[in-house]
Amino acid sequence: MSATLKFLENEVQIAALLFMAVVYAVRLVWILRFEFRRERTFPAGSEAAGIGFSLMNVAMPWAMESTRKRPWFYLQFVIFHLGVAAAITATFIIPYKPALLETKPVALAFQTMMGAAFLVGLMRLVRRLREPALRLISTADDYLSLALMILFFAAGVLAVPNRYRTAEWTLILFFGLTAFFLVYVPFSKICHYLYYPFTRYFLGKTLGHRGALPPGKTAADRPLPEGSGTRRPR
Amino acid sequence: MRHKKAGPSGTVDAPLETKSQRTAVRDAIPSVVGGRLRTYDPAADNVGAFLRLLGERITRPLAVSLTACVHCGLCAESCHYFLARPDDPTMTPVYKADQIRRVFKRHLDWTGRVVPWWVHAGSPRSDEDLNRLKNIVFGTCSACRRCTLNCPMGVDTGLLVRFTRGLLTELGIVPEGVFNVSRDEWETGNQMAVTEEEYLETLQWMKEEVQAELDRPDVDIPVDRADCNVLYTINPREIKFDPRSIANAAKVFHVAGETWTLPKWGWDQTNFGLYSGDDKLGGYVARNVYEAAERLRAKRIVISECGHGYRSTRWEGYNWAGYDQKLPTESVVVTLMRYLQEGRIRVDPSRNPEPVTFHDSCNIARSGDLVEEPRWILGRVCADFREMHPNRRENFCCTGGGGLLSMAEYRPLRLEVAKVKAEQLRATGAKLVCTMCHNCIDGLTDVIKHYRLDMKVVQVLDLVAKALVIS
Repeated sequence: MSATLKFLENEVQIAALLFMAVVYAVRLVWILRFEFRRERTFPAGSEAAGIGFSLMNVAMPWAMESTRKRPWFYLQFVIFHLGVAAAITATFIIPYKPALLETKPVALAFQTMMGAAFLVGLMRLVRRLREPALRLISTADDYLSLALMILFFAAGVLAVPNRYRTAEWTLILFFGLTAFFLVYVPFSKICHYLYYPFTRYFLGKTLGHRGALPPGKTAADRPLPEGSGTRRPR
Repeated sequence: MRHKKAGPSGTVDAPLETKSQRTAVRDAIPSVVGGRLRTYDPAADNVGAFLRLLGERITRPLAVSLTACVHCGLCAESCHYFLARPDDPTMTPVYKADQIRRVFKRHLDWTGRVVPWWVHAGSPRSDEDLNRLKNIVFGTCSACRRCTLNCPMGVDTGLLVRFTRGLLTELGIVPEGVFNVSRDEWETGNQMAVTEEEYLETLQWMKEEVQAELDRPDVDIPVDRADCNVLYTINPREIKFDPRSIANAAKVFHVAGETWTLPKWGWDQTNFGLYSGDDKLGGYVARNVYEAAERLRAKRIVISECGHGYRSTRWEGYNWAGYDQKLPTESVVVTLMRYLQEGRIRVDPSRNPEPVTFHDSCNIARSGDLVEEPRWILGRVCADFREMHPNRRENFCCTGGGGLLSMAEYRPLRLEVAKVKAEQLRATGAKLVCTMCHNCIDGLTDVIKHYRLDMKVVQVLDLVAKALVIS
């Protein structure tokens, strides 16, 4: 392994990770500085149940019409994000547990996940370019983020066999992209996962308090005869 | 079928009409003089004020909804505007939300402040830009929140639209109808400028009607009676156009042996602050109701059938008014359900033999908690109940939500996109569409008339009153 690759796999990655962590911390402080108003009404449902349902929404494609009617779109989402998880895991396995990837089925599993995500990424790019409604809202960041992910998956497929003696460039490309990502992500739409818990928490809290989430409550569940909205705040 | 087209994208470009605003300024009406009702000043730095308000008013839930969108476009097909106009990319919820998101990015977010072109960040440059924003947030969205519940990220586009409306309202950059109704609520305490005399006379008239109908001279519609179980609050539309709904309530309360009253002041449960995004107005109107209940020592506030009124009085109003809830506050539909469960009223479903379907009001089903309760009642008072599809929290807006009924300039587009609702209604084969919202009555009546459907709109209370067995 060359000194360049070693430096890229270790020091550069750690520095980039630290940078991302610091920026995320600042970002979280920034979000928390916005005012949050307390609820003044009696609950008609459970905030905790609403928050739980809302946060788990990602794993319940049947819960939303938008995903229920488009199962293929949801499957793409799953494949894409499994690819992301595989690629991130690979950035740690390659430098710190390389022996794992010497087992062929393990390496193949990683390559399959990232390869499938690569294909989904291409499909998403085509969709973004083809549909006028998506084209209208798409920003340079939307295109670059997706293009970078596609490239990242491709680089991951090539890098996972960890052939640093014969094809070092694949690893340099993969870790070079990783370092770039770690620095770029906090400023791009890719960091949406940082906001997901917040948006879902607030929606679940509000609608859980009102008894609108989780859905499917029957009239018999109501605490009659007092009627809705008669319970005291907890 | 006649379809009046609203025109291609970009023709929702209604100019800012300020005739009513100028009259209000000239007449020095108290709400304008007191600074509660804002009017447009062309000489002012409106863009600067807009940006200042944006920075001041953003709350945490708004901030995360502004930052979290990934532009996946999944919200598009949840919106009846986009479903009716699939070739118009400006009709997607994400496009509408992006109009405020770009300003947020340019002035408050990180990347947009440094490299705005990278993330489509931008700023309004003139009052014309603000008027364009007005046409988008008031004219192309009924704030039904269907997109919110269909967003994988949980972005609350309905909340963003209301927030943007609130900023524009503060500058007087609003549709004239919104200004007029807001003025009436500030000036008279109700959104249809019903005078106290008209209010009391209508109640007296309805009392006499019910007394004659039941042949019971002891039936009463009390006003300002203290220590009752129920403080009943209504929609001014009931006084102006549909007083029978008050008579129906009186009949049911009488049969159930309820002690109830209407307040002389603070009887309007509707709230234009929800539509205009004006929390001050919202708080003022809602507080009138809460203080009436407190003054009369009522044990419970009951809200007549109204979608936005229910959402405003039950949920949002306490927060807008900064008033901690002290009393149970419920829809009359829940009250009716309780009476039926307790055997205080009895009904005969054969008196409603026509096929009935139910339209869920957006403000009640998606932003509130009542979905099964009206169905529970309809299952007992109707002989032939049929579901509409989709229904409950996935139902489509009546198209008159978000205050759109008061904005004549957006009517052609509203009726064009109503074809989604019309198809939904037609598919039920029902003769009656029941809804627990006065706004939806007018919205659905418009749709039925425009698309020539053979249907009538009724409310839960109408059907209960018709089915009521009086011994």
